[in-house]
Amino acid sequence: MKSWITFLIPNDEYKEKRILYLLAEGGILLFLSLIVMVIWNQYFLMNTNTALLILVTIFLFYVTARYTLSGIEYTDVATESSYKKELKHIRTKTISFVLIFIVLFLFISGVPANKTEWVEIGGLLISVGFLWYLTSFISLKRSYKKNKELL
Amino acid sequence: MKNNVRTSRLNLSMTQEQLAVRVGVTRQTIGLIEKGEYNPSLQLCISIAKVLNKTLNDLFWEV
Repeated sequence: MKSWITFLIPNDEYKEKRILYLLAEGGILLFLSLIVMVIWNQYFLMNTNTALLILVTIFLFYVTARYTLSGIEYTDVATESSYKKELKHIRTKTISFVLIFIVLFLFISGVPANKTEWVEIGGLLISVGFLWYLTSFISLKRSYKKNKELL
Repeated sequence: MKNNVRTSRLNLSMTQEQLAVRVGVTRQTIGLIEKGEYNPSLQLCISIAKVLNKTLNDLFWEV
Protein backbone atom coordinates (compact mmCIF):
# COMPACT_ATOMS: atom_id res chain seq x y z
CA MET A 1 0.00 0.00 0.00
CA LYS A 2 1.46 3.34 -1.04
CA SER A 3 1.01 6.54 0.93
CA TRP A 4 2.90 9.80 1.28
CA ILE A 5 3.80 8.83 4.87
CA THR A 6 5.46 5.58 3.76
CA PHE A 7 8.90 7.06 4.45
CA LEU A 8 7.92 7.42 8.14
CA ILE A 9 6.76 3.82 8.50
CA PRO A 10 9.13 0.91 9.25
CA ASN A 11 9.34 -2.15 7.00
CA ASP A 12 8.41 -4.65 9.68
CA GLU A 13 4.66 -5.27 9.38
CA TYR A 14 3.88 -5.55 13.12
CA LYS A 15 5.75 -2.34 13.91
CA GLU A 16 4.14 -0.65 10.91
CA LYS A 17 0.67 -1.58 12.14
CA ARG A 18 1.38 -0.40 15.70
CA ILE A 19 2.77 2.93 14.53
CA LEU A 20 -0.18 3.52 12.20
CA TYR A 21 -2.53 2.86 15.12
CA LEU A 22 -0.60 5.30 17.33
CA LEU A 23 -0.72 8.01 14.67
CA ALA A 24 -4.44 7.40 14.09
CA GLU A 25 -5.18 7.54 17.83
CA GLY A 26 -3.12 10.74 18.08
CA GLY A 27 -5.06 12.20 15.14
CA ILE A 28 -8.45 11.39 16.71
CA LEU A 29 -7.30 12.81 20.06
CA LEU A 30 -6.18 15.94 18.26
CA PHE A 31 -9.57 16.24 16.53
CA LEU A 32 -11.42 15.83 19.85
CA SER A 33 -9.12 18.42 21.45
CA LEU A 34 -9.94 20.83 18.63
CA ILE A 35 -13.66 20.40 19.27
CA VAL A 36 -13.14 20.99 23.01
CA MET A 37 -11.10 24.06 22.23
CA VAL A 38 -13.75 25.47 19.86
CA ILE A 39 -16.37 25.09 22.63
CA TRP A 40 -13.94 26.51 25.23
CA ASN A 41 -13.31 29.50 22.99
CA GLN A 42 -17.02 30.40 23.09
CA TYR A 43 -16.79 31.11 26.82
CA PHE A 44 -13.14 31.94 27.52
CA LEU A 45 -10.71 33.83 25.37
CA MET A 46 -7.56 31.94 24.53
CA ASN A 47 -4.41 33.15 22.87
CA THR A 48 -4.01 31.52 19.42
CA ASN A 49 -0.36 30.67 19.98
CA THR A 50 -1.14 28.99 23.30
CA ALA A 51 -4.00 27.01 21.76
CA LEU A 52 -1.83 25.80 18.88
CA LEU A 53 1.00 24.90 21.24
CA ILE A 54 -1.37 22.87 23.44
CA LEU A 55 -2.72 20.98 20.42
CA VAL A 56 0.73 20.18 19.04
CA THR A 57 1.88 19.08 22.51
CA ILE A 58 -1.15 16.78 22.95
CA PHE A 59 -0.42 15.00 19.67
CA LEU A 60 3.35 14.75 20.14
CA PHE A 61 3.15 13.75 23.80
CA TYR A 62 0.51 11.07 23.17
CA VAL A 63 2.28 9.47 20.20
CA THR A 64 5.75 9.63 21.81
CA ALA A 65 4.57 8.33 25.19
CA ARG A 66 2.64 5.43 23.67
CA TYR A 67 5.55 4.56 21.36
CA THR A 68 8.01 4.63 24.27
CA LEU A 69 5.82 2.46 26.48
CA SER A 70 4.83 0.00 23.74
CA GLY A 71 8.26 -1.69 23.72
CA ILE A 72 8.51 -1.82 19.94
CA GLU A 73 11.59 0.37 19.49
CA TYR A 74 14.35 -2.13 20.29
CA THR A 75 12.96 -5.23 18.62
CA ASP A 76 16.11 -7.34 18.81
CA VAL A 77 17.14 -6.73 22.43
CA ALA A 78 16.29 -9.97 24.22
CA THR A 79 19.45 -10.93 26.11
CA GLU A 80 21.23 -9.23 28.99
CA SER A 81 24.38 -8.64 26.94
CA SER A 82 22.46 -6.97 24.10
CA TYR A 83 20.54 -4.93 26.70
CA LYS A 84 23.76 -3.65 28.27
CA LYS A 85 25.25 -2.97 24.85
CA GLU A 86 22.20 -0.95 23.83
CA LEU A 87 22.23 0.95 27.13
CA LYS A 88 25.82 1.94 26.47
CA HIS A 89 24.83 3.01 22.97
CA ILE A 90 22.03 5.19 24.41
CA ARG A 91 24.51 6.88 26.78
CA THR A 92 26.86 7.60 23.89
CA LYS A 93 24.00 8.97 21.77
CA THR A 94 22.84 11.25 24.60
CA ILE A 95 26.34 12.62 25.22
CA SER A 96 26.87 13.16 21.48
CA PHE A 97 23.54 14.97 21.24
CA VAL A 98 24.44 17.29 24.14
CA LEU A 99 27.88 18.04 22.68
CA ILE A 100 26.51 18.74 19.19
CA PHE A 101 23.81 20.94 20.72
CA ILE A 102 26.42 22.98 22.65
CA VAL A 103 28.60 23.43 19.56
CA LEU A 104 25.66 24.45 17.36
CA PHE A 105 24.31 26.78 20.02
CA LEU A 106 27.66 28.51 20.48
CA PHE A 107 28.08 28.74 16.70
CA ILE A 108 24.60 30.17 16.04
CA SER A 109 23.91 32.27 19.15
CA GLY A 110 27.47 33.05 20.20
CA VAL A 111 29.09 32.59 23.60
CA PRO A 112 26.74 33.48 26.50
CA ALA A 113 27.57 36.94 27.81
CA ASN A 114 26.96 36.40 31.50
CA LYS A 115 26.44 33.83 34.23
CA THR A 116 22.63 33.87 33.89
CA GLU A 117 22.82 32.98 30.19
CA TRP A 118 25.24 30.14 30.98
CA VAL A 119 22.83 28.83 33.62
CA GLU A 120 19.91 29.07 31.17
CA ILE A 121 21.67 27.13 28.41
CA GLY A 122 23.06 24.65 30.95
CA GLY A 123 19.60 24.07 32.40
CA LEU A 124 18.09 23.59 28.97
CA LEU A 125 20.80 21.13 27.98
CA ILE A 126 20.52 19.12 31.18
CA SER A 127 16.70 18.97 30.88
CA VAL A 128 16.68 17.94 27.21
CA GLY A 129 19.56 15.47 27.69
CA PHE A 130 17.89 13.93 30.72
CA LEU A 131 14.52 13.65 28.94
CA TRP A 132 16.20 12.11 25.89
CA TYR A 133 18.03 9.56 28.04
CA LEU A 134 14.97 8.80 30.17
CA THR A 135 12.64 8.11 27.22
CA SER A 136 15.28 5.95 25.51
CA PHE A 137 15.92 4.08 28.77
CA ILE A 138 12.21 3.42 29.39
CA SER A 139 11.72 2.33 25.79
CA LEU A 140 14.70 -0.03 26.02
CA LYS A 141 13.53 -1.47 29.33
CA ARG A 142 10.01 -2.10 27.96
CA SER A 143 11.37 -3.61 24.75
CA TYR A 144 13.74 -5.89 26.66
CA LYS A 145 10.94 -7.09 28.95
CA LYS A 146 8.59 -7.71 26.02
CA ASN A 147 11.25 -9.50 23.95
CA LYS A 148 12.28 -11.74 26.85
CA GLU A 149 8.69 -12.89 27.23
CA LEU A 150 8.57 -13.78 23.53
CA LEU A 151 11.66 -16.01 23.51
CA MET B 1 -4.23 -17.13 16.39
CA LYS B 2 -2.63 -20.38 17.53
CA ASN B 3 -0.17 -21.93 15.10
CA ASN B 4 2.66 -24.42 14.61
CA VAL B 5 5.37 -21.93 13.69
CA ARG B 6 7.44 -22.46 16.84
CA THR B 7 7.38 -26.26 16.60
CA SER B 8 8.23 -26.22 12.89
CA ARG B 9 11.05 -23.74 13.46
CA LEU B 10 12.54 -25.76 16.29
CA ASN B 11 12.34 -28.92 14.17
CA LEU B 12 14.66 -27.20 11.70
CA SER B 13 16.92 -26.01 14.58
CA MET B 14 16.37 -22.46 13.51
CA THR B 15 16.40 -19.46 15.88
CA GLN B 16 13.75 -16.74 15.89
CA GLU B 17 16.43 -14.34 14.68
CA GLN B 18 17.32 -16.55 11.70
CA LEU B 19 13.69 -16.97 10.68
CA ALA B 20 13.11 -13.23 11.09
CA VAL B 21 16.03 -12.40 8.80
CA ARG B 22 14.88 -14.93 6.19
CA VAL B 23 11.34 -13.53 6.01
CA GLY B 24 12.31 -9.87 6.41
CA VAL B 25 10.71 -8.96 9.75
CA THR B 26 12.02 -8.38 13.26
CA ARG B 27 12.66 -11.08 15.85
CA GLN B 28 9.92 -9.54 17.98
CA THR B 29 7.35 -10.05 15.23
CA ILE B 30 8.26 -13.75 14.96
CA GLY B 31 7.95 -14.07 18.75
CA LEU B 32 4.51 -12.44 18.69
CA ILE B 33 3.32 -14.71 15.87
CA GLU B 34 4.53 -17.81 17.71
CA LYS B 35 2.73 -16.72 20.88
CA GLY B 36 -0.42 -16.07 18.87
CA GLU B 37 -0.41 -12.41 19.83
CA TYR B 38 -0.15 -11.09 16.30
CA ASN B 39 -1.93 -12.30 13.17
CA PRO B 40 0.47 -11.96 10.25
CA SER B 41 -0.55 -10.90 6.75
CA LEU B 42 -1.10 -13.61 4.16
CA GLN B 43 2.12 -12.54 2.45
CA LEU B 44 4.10 -13.07 5.66
CA CYS B 45 2.36 -16.40 6.34
CA ILE B 46 3.44 -17.61 2.89
CA SER B 47 7.03 -16.42 3.44
CA ILE B 48 7.22 -18.24 6.78
CA ALA B 49 5.69 -21.40 5.28
CA LYS B 50 8.23 -21.36 2.44
CA VAL B 51 11.20 -20.92 4.78
CA LEU B 52 9.97 -23.68 7.10
CA ASN B 53 9.11 -25.99 4.17
CA LYS B 54 5.52 -26.31 5.32
CA THR B 55 2.12 -25.54 3.84
CA LEU B 56 -0.18 -22.86 5.24
CA ASN B 57 -2.43 -25.67 6.47
CA ASP B 58 0.43 -27.26 8.41
CA LEU B 59 1.26 -24.01 10.14
CA PHE B 60 -1.97 -22.13 10.60
CA TRP B 61 -5.06 -24.25 9.99
CA GLU B 62 -7.09 -24.77 13.20
CA VAL B 63 -4.26 -25.69 15.54
